[in-house]
Amino acid sequence: MTVSPNPEGQSRLIEEIIDKGICVRCGACVGLCPYFHFFDGKVVVMDRCDADTWNCLQLCPRANPEGDILNESGGIGSYKTVTMARATDKEIRETSQYGGTVSSIIISGLQSDQIGSAVLTDRGGATSPEGRLARNRKDVLDCAGSRYSASGSLSILNGCIKDGEDRIAMVGVPCQMEALARMRELMPDGEERYGRVSLKIGLFCTWALDYRQLDAFLKKEGVKDPVNKFDIPPPPSEVFRVQTQGKWRDFPLSQIRPFVQKGCSFCQDMTAQEADLSVGTVEGIEGWNTVVLRTDKGAEIFNEAIEEGWLETQAFPEDNLEHLKEAAQNKRERGKKSIIKGVRGQAWE
Amino acid sequence: MGIISHRSGEIDVLLQGNEAIARGALEAGVLFCAGYPGNPSSEIIETLIEASKELPIYVEWSVNEKVALEAATAASFSGCRALVSMKQNGVNVISDFLIHLTLSGIKGGLVLVTCDDPSGVSSINEEDARAFAPLAEIPLLEPSTPQEALDMTRWAFELSEQIGNVVMVRSLTRISHTRTNVKINDLPDFETTPRFDTNAPFHTFPVVEKHKKRQKKLDQAMEMFETSSFNRYKGPTEPELLIIGSGCARSYATEAVEILGLRERVGILHLGTTWPLPKDLATRHLRASERVLFAEDVDPFIENSVKALAADLGNELGTKEFFGKASGHIPSTGETSPALLLEVLGEIFHISWKNSFYREKIAALIGDATPPREFGFCPGCPHRGSYYAIKTALAWDDRDGFVSGDIGCYTLGIFPTGFSQVKSVHAMGSGLGLASGFGKLEKFGFDQPVVTVCGDSTFFHSGFPALVNAKFNDSDILLLILDNSATAMTGFQPHPGTGTNAIGDRVEPIDIEAVCRSLGVDVISADPYDTEETARIIYDLIKRTGPRVLVLRRKCALVQGREGGFPYKMRVDQERCKGEECGCGRYCTRIFRCPGLIWDEPVQKAKVDEVICVGCGICATVCPHSAIIREEK
Repeated sequence: MTVSPNPEGQSRLIEEIIDKGICVRCGACVGLCPYFHFFDGKVVVMDRCDADTWNCLQLCPRANPEGDILNESGGIGSYKTVTMARATDKEIRETSQYGGTVSSIIISGLQSDQIGSAVLTDRGGATSPEGRLARNRKDVLDCAGSRYSASGSLSILNGCIKDGEDRIAMVGVPCQMEALARMRELMPDGEERYGRVSLKIGLFCTWALDYRQLDAFLKKEGVKDPVNKFDIPPPPSEVFRVQTQGKWRDFPLSQIRPFVQKGCSFCQDMTAQEADLSVGTVEGIEGWNTVVLRTDKGAEIFNEAIEEGWLETQAFPEDNLEHLKEAAQNKRERGKKSIIKGVRGQAWE
Repeated sequence: MGIISHRSGEIDVLLQGNEAIARGALEAGVLFCAGYPGNPSSEIIETLIEASKELPIYVEWSVNEKVALEAATAASFSGCRALVSMKQNGVNVISDFLIHLTLSGIKGGLVLVTCDDPSGVSSINEEDARAFAPLAEIPLLEPSTPQEALDMTRWAFELSEQIGNVVMVRSLTRISHTRTNVKINDLPDFETTPRFDTNAPFHTFPVVEKHKKRQKKLDQAMEMFETSSFNRYKGPTEPELLIIGSGCARSYATEAVEILGLRERVGILHLGTTWPLPKDLATRHLRASERVLFAEDVDPFIENSVKALAADLGNELGTKEFFGKASGHIPSTGETSPALLLEVLGEIFHISWKNSFYREKIAALIGDATPPREFGFCPGCPHRGSYYAIKTALAWDDRDGFVSGDIGCYTLGIFPTGFSQVKSVHAMGSGLGLASGFGKLEKFGFDQPVVTVCGDSTFFHSGFPALVNAKFNDSDILLLILDNSATAMTGFQPHPGTGTNAIGDRVEPIDIEAVCRSLGVDVISADPYDTEETARIIYDLIKRTGPRVLVLRRKCALVQGREGGFPYKMRVDQERCKGEECGCGRYCTRIFRCPGLIWDEPVQKAKVDEVICVGCGICATVCPHSAIIREEK
């Protein structure tokens, strides 16, 4: 597929995605050119572009003029096996969100030189969490844990591809995995770029929060110190937990839900089905991760991490798998409905 | 010895209009000269500064125009002659003091020179400062040539002393900046000793009596104007059309009359003393012609006073036909020109003339040697870096923020060279006052960030009170002081922060940060060349509240050029340059727009114009593909 000239590429992305507030801040359009930045939790327009090509629009997982790129297999998408895993390393387990599986795979891959670097999401500080290129164990641990807000980390991937980086692992949420698939298929040099990414680890995601709204809310609520950790425990707890300086504070989830990114409502993919392997929590079993192995590459690097002693595994309970598929399918249905009646549907008429 | 200080006269020298004004003041024995720089007036004080090296006079750049007039008035009150000069809107700044001063009267001759700038050639307005002459009830002289500028300035001191009040001289860009042969006269001995007579105080009480006295002084001036040699008539005794004109427009009218062969049919009354209107003189000429055309720049100033006179004398003079701004024959905006007067006279006399006469003449002379250009910051200008950082921070913030601008080179921030960040520009210091107001709108739901910018000289001129106001009223104001260590736009005059004064004395520079700190205002500084870091600082400051000051400090590129230049040699690696492609879209030449970067048409890539580029190096950080390379010189 070739990219056809469209002088209005950036304008359309601005008018139909960014101005409508349905950007999911994946960062796919950032770092390729000077016209977009990801900054403090938001993709912002720096200047108006008049180039007659439009990679930015092509890559956007929310702007989808050519039809859905996701494979339509339903539920959690195609996979080889689903298993449960957790880190064996004590430090990783303590630092990470649940089982520490992602951190373990990345550290294992870096140490065995299967990968050269990994694009992760840091904890943020003065500004929002953002993407970071990790090259060693310390970098990885600095990035461990869930953020619940978008980090635009594909911008970092774009930047390091430009800088000549190779054998990159990309860890990201489903929209970012979709953007990678779009990059491969729709960018003129997509295959070459895609070839630089040697591993894609997808993170389960139901939605992400708008960082600036969350930040303003927390500041208003007196949360002044940097947040070390966020958590949403499995149902029926209905709380959003925020940890600063070792202390947890709980907010009713209903107070947080208004900050869910508008663009997340159009998402049909909970389990990142375009990834090599996808990782999430396990409902009802604390301290373990669900791992969906999808590709040979994913299985290979996962198994290597087990062989090298970074991970231990357990069989995934059948009930949980059914529940996971149901939840994923529900998200798919919700997303479809939103597209039909939502802003995006109108936008592409 | 410079020609301007040449003691003996009766020789012709080549002088610029502003130099002629300065020489006129010297020939009148001026002792105290003050002003604030502003085109087209700046060379008056600059010339007097040169003269002060050889003659016993005092010259200063004051912090603003009002203080300049106040300081000069001290000399006048002490019996010495004094001059103040400024551009047209400077007269607004002095106006409060002027209205009071002209009630109290003065002692030593005190001449106020305003250099007006029709069409705003180097201004952001085209105010006609003559309006202040009737308002302050003071005489007004309008030279039309550098020679008259000299002669009128010299005479203005005598007139001022005779009537005991300020006299205003109005020059124009085209007179102030014209160079021609001017006959100079002898310089007097500069021997006055200032002495304030405590038995003759200066104040405005009793107000009504002083007001009457002021008007009597004006009557006295009018009487002298009736026979003044600055008013001349040339033409037939009973012309078909009488042109009454002043300044450049009068000269243009003369030229048009010649070109159209109307010398036998049109008479020109050249008025040099335009306020108060010499009534007898004007009446005599009105009697002789049924039709009158007014030739003057900007406002219908003479037009209105002549019409008022004609109305008063209606029974005697009958109905006249007037051509001017009210009739629509002369546009009421913009500068007059010979072509305009040709057009108007052609229309009145039904003479067809070649409309493109001057345009063709100019084209033949210069050909295509002057390509069209937009307003732009110089290569290496720190303001480009400052606005790039501001643009970046406001884009990051993404709440439709904007810049409340002020007066200086950085006013160009309204144009693409400053990324069109400036959305409001008015008088000096007004950007801060506006920001002080925007900073109080939050509780009504205003959520756009406002950044106000102000140069170092403007800060001292009139920015300071607004910052005090912001502190006093706890306004959320973010002030960026663009400190380039110069009054760059008007020609590098010193100001209170530079460490030298007009006459070159070393003085203790006033530390802007210390001034801000003393107000209890948070202040930090950053480097405008480091656009990324500066943008982060601005972004961070935007999120805070209360009065905040960020000083962006880098020398004006022209000063830096003179003081050792820049460290880098720049080049574009055309292999890496993506040109028009997706991923760049000519970012450096289309968005960043430094004139040192140009488009290499044959290869469709950017390149460095080695003649223009100074080597500041900012653009290397702007190229998205690191194709702009900076190498240490």
